[in-house]
Parts: sequence; structure tokens; C-alpha cells
Amino acid sequence: MSEPGLETLYPFLYADTGPDCHDHLRRSTQDKIAEIITLRQELAGVYGQRLAACAYDMATAFDHGARLFTFGNGGSSTDAQDVAQTFAHPPAPARPVAAISLAQDVAVLTALSNDVGYDRVFARQLAALGRHGDVAVGLSTSGGSPNVLNAMAEARRLGMLTVGFVGYDGGKMAQDDLVDHLFVVPSTSVHRIQEAQTTLYHVLWELTQTRGDGS
Amino acid sequence: MDAFERRVGPGSALSDAVDQILRACQDMAGRFRQGGKLIVFGNGGSATDAQHVAVEFVHPVIVGKPALPALSLTNDAAMVTGIARTEGLDDIFAAQLRLLASPDDIAVGISAAGDCANVLRGLDTARELGLLTVALFGGAEPRQTAADHLLVARSADPLIVKEVHVTIYHLLWELTHVYLEQPSAVAR
Repeated sequence: MSEPGLETLYPFLYADTGPDCHDHLRRSTQDKIAEIITLRQELAGVYGQRLAACAYDMATAFDHGARLFTFGNGGSSTDAQDVAQTFAHPPAPARPVAAISLAQDVAVLTALSNDVGYDRVFARQLAALGRHGDVAVGLSTSGGSPNVLNAMAEARRLGMLTVGFVGYDGGKMAQDDLVDHLFVVPSTSVHRIQEAQTTLYHVLWELTQTRGDGS
Repeated sequence: MDAFERRVGPGSALSDAVDQILRACQDMAGRFRQGGKLIVFGNGGSATDAQHVAVEFVHPVIVGKPALPALSLTNDAAMVTGIARTEGLDDIFAAQLRLLASPDDIAVGISAAGDCANVLRGLDTARELGLLTVALFGGAEPRQTAADHLLVARSADPLIVKEVHVTIYHLLWELTHVYLEQPSAVAR
């Protein structure tokens, strides 16, 4: 999904390259910093209780021996990796959880892409590794990445708990009601969506430590 | 919810660093203009950030923006564990920089705690080799570094530091492109 061009984001650069330029650039940067703070506060109101409910379900699953599988593409693949490493190697004294980020094994990823198709790279790994009661966390800023959607469908088929982080209006993941816990960041900026998603999954991890008690 | 409230202070404090961010981006644009590439590194959660920074520059989110050369030093487990076995974990980034870096390049070292020995050594090595060095640090008391640009997310919570770092490197990408397109927009 594309964003507006720099001409739209920084009109003053194209109208005016005089001494005021620095001040405009400074102000627009400060606006972006303010924007993510406001967005996080809005999400706290909308999703506070739902994060707690999701954390309760995840903590219960982990108590029963669930493993965590995470997936996403591009920047979201690095978030998937961060979700996995936060749960697997948490700040002390938290208890580590078995977690695997599905975009990390390049041999598996390239084999599946070459032989089956990129749309199935996460679904096929879940079919092989996933069990009833495990947890799947998928991230997609557009909510429309086919390989993330296919993985969610596979996780559902296996009886896993499914959690999705998406942006914009939630895309296909929201329309098709594909996941048990869905968190939509209502922004049109990929950057702000990713920044807010990082906070959401960090807070989700924190809440799993108290089984959803965020008071 | 308390978890969200704890994020407001460190997020707002970033406003005080806007001039530093603008200066770093102007220098980064200068290096890209000279043909330099971006090399990024970090540990744990910051390793995921290093990879995010690299993909941000190589595969721009805004259609039509030029791809800029960038790579992260944490992708190849064989390379990293091989160097760690013989040279030690503290040398995993410096050793790769000595092989891959050119003097026109940019090194971005990320450390949420601000005290990672291998990141500090990587930045020192990069500086000796002539690279522009940018440190993305965090923690209550980040270590001193000789990096050209030190950008700090002040929080003792590494998860909150990471969230501020994501905003910082998104701004680094966007503003570097602004300075590349508009060299007359001089930072102060």
C-alpha cells in the first residue's frame, strides 16, 4: 500500500526553499511526534480492555503448554520477530515462552516460495509445526497480505488462538472476521501504524504477565 | 491504562531531539549523495530494528522514492555465530564492518540499553574507517560514545525505548529523502 509523495507531505519544500524551510521541516517533524502520541492514547481507550482479554486467553494457552508462532512481511516481519523474541527472551524476571518467528528460516522460506508459492509460506509452516491450542500472531499494515491471511485460516483450522495486528480500516482480515482478537490501528501512515502496533504488542506482552490485569 | 500512560513521557521527549535528528539526516543524505551505503546493527529487539531500518531504505514505503543501499549485520546466523566463536560476541559487528564498509558509508548502531559492547565497538571501528556514525541509544544512563550523532530514547524500559526508536528511524528515512531532494534545506 502506498503513501502520498513527499510533495504532498512537505509542500513548503516545493514552494519555498528560503530560510523558512528549516522551521517548516522542524514543525512538520514535531507534528509527526505528536501524532503518534495521540494515536497511542486513542488506542489505549479503544483497545485497553480487549488487549487485557487477549492477554488472558494467551496466558491461559501458555499455561496449557501452547507455543507462539508469529509472522508478517517486510517491516512487519521484523515486528513478528520482535514479538517472538519478547515472549521467548523477556526482560527478567518474566517466564520465557516457546516462540518461533516464521520468517526467520531462510531455507524453509525460499523452499516454500520456490515450490509452493509465497502466499503459502506461513500457512505451510503452521500446518507442519502448529497444534491445537497454540497461538498465532500475524501482522499486516494493510490487513490484506495473502500469506498472512492464509496462515490465519490455517491456524483457525488447527484450532489455534489467533491474534491479528493491522492498519488502515483493517482490510480483508477485518472484513472476513478471520481472527479471535483483532487490533486495527486507524491511520493512513504505514509508519505511524507500525509504531502503534509495536506499542500494542508490547503492552499485550506486559498484560500476559498479569493474566490481563492492567490496573 | 497505566501501560499506555508510561509511554507518553518518553514519546514526548523526542520533540527535544528534532534538531539533532535533522542534522543527522542532512549528514546521511550527504553520504548517500557521495555513493555511500547504510550499515545497521544491534542485538535482540534492536536486531529486529536493524533489519527494519535496512528494508525501510532498500524498499521505500512511498512509491517513486529511490531505493537506497542499506544492509543489516544480523541476518546471517552462520556469519554471526562463526565470528562469535573465534573472535567473541563483542566483535560480531566490527569484524563485518572491516570487511564490508567503505569510508563514504554510514553506520547506525542500535542499543536499547545503551551499553552493548559489540555495538559500541562497531561504532568505534566504523569511525576509525571514516564512516558517518549514528548511535540510536536508550536507557536511563546511556554510555558515552564518540559517534557523530547520538540520538537517545530516555527510558529504563527497553520495550518503550524500542517504540521511540521505531519513530526515530522512520523519521531518519523520511527526512534523509527530503535532504536528498532538497539540498538547500539546511539543518541548524
